[in-house]
Amino acid sequence: MSQNGHKVIGTRPIRHDGVDKVTGRAIYGADIQLTGLLHGTVKRSPHPHARIKNIDTSRAEAHPGVRAVVTAHDLPQIADKLADLGEAIVNLRDASNNVLAYGKVLYKGHAVAGVAAINLHVAQEAVELIDVEYEVLPHVTGVLEAMEDGAPILHEDMKTTSMGEETDKVSNIANHFQHKMGEPDDGFAEADVVIEREFTTQTVHQGYIETHNATALWNEEGQLTIWTSTQGAFSVRDQMAEILQMPVSKVKIVPLEIGGGFGGKISVYLDPVAALLSKKTGHPVKMTMTRDEVFEGTGPTPGSYLKVKMGATSDGRLTAATAYMAYEAGAYPGSPVGAGAGCIFTPYDIPNVQIDGYDVCVNKPKTNAYRAPGATNAAYATETVVDEISEKLGVDPLEFRVKNGAKEGTRRADGPVHPRIGCIETTEAALNSEHYRSSLAKSANGKVRGRGVASGYWFNFNGGRSAISVSINPDGTINMLEGSTDIGGSRASIAMQLAETIGLEATDIKPYVVDTDSIGYTDVTGGSRTTFGTGYAAHATGQALIREMKERASKLWDVPADAIDFEDGVFSYRDDAEKRGSFKEMASQAGDAGGPVVAQVSTNPDGSGGGAFATHVVDVEVDRETGKVDILRYTAVQDAGTAIHPSYVEGQMQGGVVQGIGWGLNEEYIYNDDGSMTNASFLDYRMPTTLDLPMIETIIVEVPNESHPYGVRGVGEVPIVPPPAALANAIYDATGVRLRDLPMSPPRVQKALAENGG
Amino acid sequence: MRNFSYVNATSIEQVPSLLGRSWDDAVVMAGGTDLVGEMKDYAAVPKRVVNLKSIEGLDYIRQDDAGLRIGALTTLTDVLENSAVSQELPVLHQAVSVIASPQIRNMATLAGNILQRPRCWYYRSEDFPCLKKGGARCYAVGGVNTYHAIFGSGPSYIVHPSDAAPALMALGATVHVHGPRGGDEVLMDDFFTMPEMNIRRENILRPNEIVTEISIPKPEANSKGMFLKVRERESIDFALVSLAAQMTVVNGTCERASLVLGGVAPIPWRAVEAEDYLRGRRITEARAESAAEAAVEDAAPMPHNGYKVEIAKNLVKQAVQALAS
Repeated sequence: MSQNGHKVIGTRPIRHDGVDKVTGRAIYGADIQLTGLLHGTVKRSPHPHARIKNIDTSRAEAHPGVRAVVTAHDLPQIADKLADLGEAIVNLRDASNNVLAYGKVLYKGHAVAGVAAINLHVAQEAVELIDVEYEVLPHVTGVLEAMEDGAPILHEDMKTTSMGEETDKVSNIANHFQHKMGEPDDGFAEADVVIEREFTTQTVHQGYIETHNATALWNEEGQLTIWTSTQGAFSVRDQMAEILQMPVSKVKIVPLEIGGGFGGKISVYLDPVAALLSKKTGHPVKMTMTRDEVFEGTGPTPGSYLKVKMGATSDGRLTAATAYMAYEAGAYPGSPVGAGAGCIFTPYDIPNVQIDGYDVCVNKPKTNAYRAPGATNAAYATETVVDEISEKLGVDPLEFRVKNGAKEGTRRADGPVHPRIGCIETTEAALNSEHYRSSLAKSANGKVRGRGVASGYWFNFNGGRSAISVSINPDGTINMLEGSTDIGGSRASIAMQLAETIGLEATDIKPYVVDTDSIGYTDVTGGSRTTFGTGYAAHATGQALIREMKERASKLWDVPADAIDFEDGVFSYRDDAEKRGSFKEMASQAGDAGGPVVAQVSTNPDGSGGGAFATHVVDVEVDRETGKVDILRYTAVQDAGTAIHPSYVEGQMQGGVVQGIGWGLNEEYIYNDDGSMTNASFLDYRMPTTLDLPMIETIIVEVPNESHPYGVRGVGEVPIVPPPAALANAIYDATGVRLRDLPMSPPRVQKALAENGG
Repeated sequence: MRNFSYVNATSIEQVPSLLGRSWDDAVVMAGGTDLVGEMKDYAAVPKRVVNLKSIEGLDYIRQDDAGLRIGALTTLTDVLENSAVSQELPVLHQAVSVIASPQIRNMATLAGNILQRPRCWYYRSEDFPCLKKGGARCYAVGGVNTYHAIFGSGPSYIVHPSDAAPALMALGATVHVHGPRGGDEVLMDDFFTMPEMNIRRENILRPNEIVTEISIPKPEANSKGMFLKVRERESIDFALVSLAAQMTVVNGTCERASLVLGGVAPIPWRAVEAEDYLRGRRITEARAESAAEAAVEDAAPMPHNGYKVEIAKNLVKQAVQALAS
């Protein structure tokens, strides 16, 4: 038994999908084979910004192996309309134009046509036979340049919305918003130390190992089935219905196993193209992306410019903070600047705050969600400034954070008031960690060492629709169907909550992720919501099963149902100790008293729970001669509410840290002057390997989330938030030089040290 | 990747006739770890691929009094695990140990490693018809040249990607070549060619010639070697700068130094000035530093790669001091 009296929650069973995954039997999108299968690929723009004057597909269509070619003209052109697709509100016309460019291409790699052929090689050959006539336009890829008057305009009909009102100004700034609380000027006047700094971050990609794929079959009855890798099958269904203007009932999405998503596998790219090609040919059509297509043609997370100013009194109280945040949306509006603004000062209790956010279009791929979207950029700025203030005041940076930490009742600058949260508990756990209390030994090899800390916040989506459908087998095991695709061990974490509720073992539950025709609507696996939200539904399902089993027991024992208790996994009749049985014992008889036992439950929690906080500690060693930063030790501390499966909580924490380290030290889209990405491969876009990292140590703090029956807080996203800032602070501690531009790669670090005498 | 025909060669003698007079006709494949990527990126578009792995007897490491002979099809893993290499040729052993990843080393051959094509991102992108592909310009000039050459004066600014080549050159190795007129031997120092001599390729091989063996003379007594590689990532990454160093030091005095830099020039770059400076000198920290300065005397960095000069200098100083102690 684990702590809190739980039998299953808090234990570490082997995941249900584990064996199939490690033995290669699990089915991914690229494994799909169907009779008569054709293979498709995409023609992409070589220009970052151009008007499409003409697309001539005749040469491609004349190729003997080609079966169909499609362009934007095969898509219904739809009006401006906003839709909620899980992690973001999306304009459907933009979504359609992003799938196949209409009128203009807005980034290099923008899809302009799709081809289906008898095999992939023919399809690739045929793509070269599509003749696109472009009028090349001036382009802009940097966020500040795109905001300038006179910058090349991506959308001639887009007027800037400012403070909620549409203005007459046509610019690349889609939206400017402001959150204000108190009077920042007064707050800075009270402060004894005020620090204001500028920061830049570059475009980075989620880097999931499985590239995008979709196999579509549009049958003779007009029923469309798509097998795909996605975080949200129902979101794909909604997007397909909207983009193709067809009823949702005509679309079935079959989610396959997913080789990583991190927010990047919610929007559709290939799915509508494969569907159109299948409609034209009458055959199933399979499409998969290459790695460079993933880099150039999907949704990375934005580059950004931030200016942050913070003030504190000499006794260490934060009095005011302001932020100017300009995020690249990419080709169409919708950067995560809003989310970044909601997170930027949230670990702190600051009375006077102003945040200005700008959502800016640039000639780069339309950005998409990436693990706590917008928050990592924000924390890089805030947490570096907090480090500098702590240093000026001569106080320990973690003690400063504890003193100014947000708690229940603290108001965020964007409005909401925190319920019970674990911000201070997490920071205190970092402060008291063996790592933080240990001293950092000097390097013996002429390199310099330093330690840095940083904190981070992510909202967590404490809501969303989830459905679960179960049937009880006569042996007492349970088949559990769910609509949440399993990216990070959620089959296990959800099954464990059902098992806990009804007194079974995790292995007694057989979880299945099923297609959209087989389960009720379930929101995306995103926003750190799945173990929370679908787990919430699992708990409710358990309650429903207990009620149903009491009814069955009532019939079997011929006693009133309300006189039957369920405790410690055993049903018993209050007035007769003989009348008792475990869930499994009852299950073997229950079918005789009313047919198979099944239950279907759907839930939609109100979203009132508190968010996730993390504090990280890192020791680095910097080679001043090469500029290379090696990580000696890394500890991530995080409030998980209640850790359902501690190994997977730790796995999420470690995975988030690793991605944050990559973002901090190496990863970036490097652009040529012509607006093309130079490094669209995993060789030149350097994600860290295991050899670049030490074991990431984890400390789980558990401050239960009051809006969940077991206290679950989502854990997947917040661990990516602190690493770049923690690394920058550690590099400063080692070298005396502050780095305010990401990534802090060897050439940049070496240059910064040379320029600043570090 | 474009369509191509595939031929299994069965003898060395047969290969020249299977190849053509032009690089566009046919290419050879051994491990394929570089070639397949090149073909996928349309940097190589051969009509025919001639497989060499079907030739028997090219996979060997033989030791005799003169030194070591390594067959062209010997994998990097076999080189790495060979005890003669690890005991007597640490510079080669260390160089091979930091190439790519274990999976790639299991496939890739030693000859293939020294014959790798440039890793320049303009060369590897089908969007840039650069000099190396018969185009009109080197896109590194005026482009993002962070990872390009600091030595040589163009017109192409690629860097030679091999880790094994600087080590073999530092050891004075010889390349055995087979062509239509039979076999030939070329010193590694004469094997690689600068862009002004041969813009499309990085060595003297003609389209119908192959490498069959690499032989390495036994290092002289009192000679020590080491390989240093600076890269951004600890695995699956090419050198920003590497250094293969082999030095003969007697009583603290350098009798002979062989210093070859990688990742800094279109070919493995022998630091002749540093070698000349060190010859006959007692090694001190100041002299190691002077050698380092001499090694980069002719460096002409591009706008984004000045950092490589510093790294090259530091590696030379570090190696000279380590090998003299």
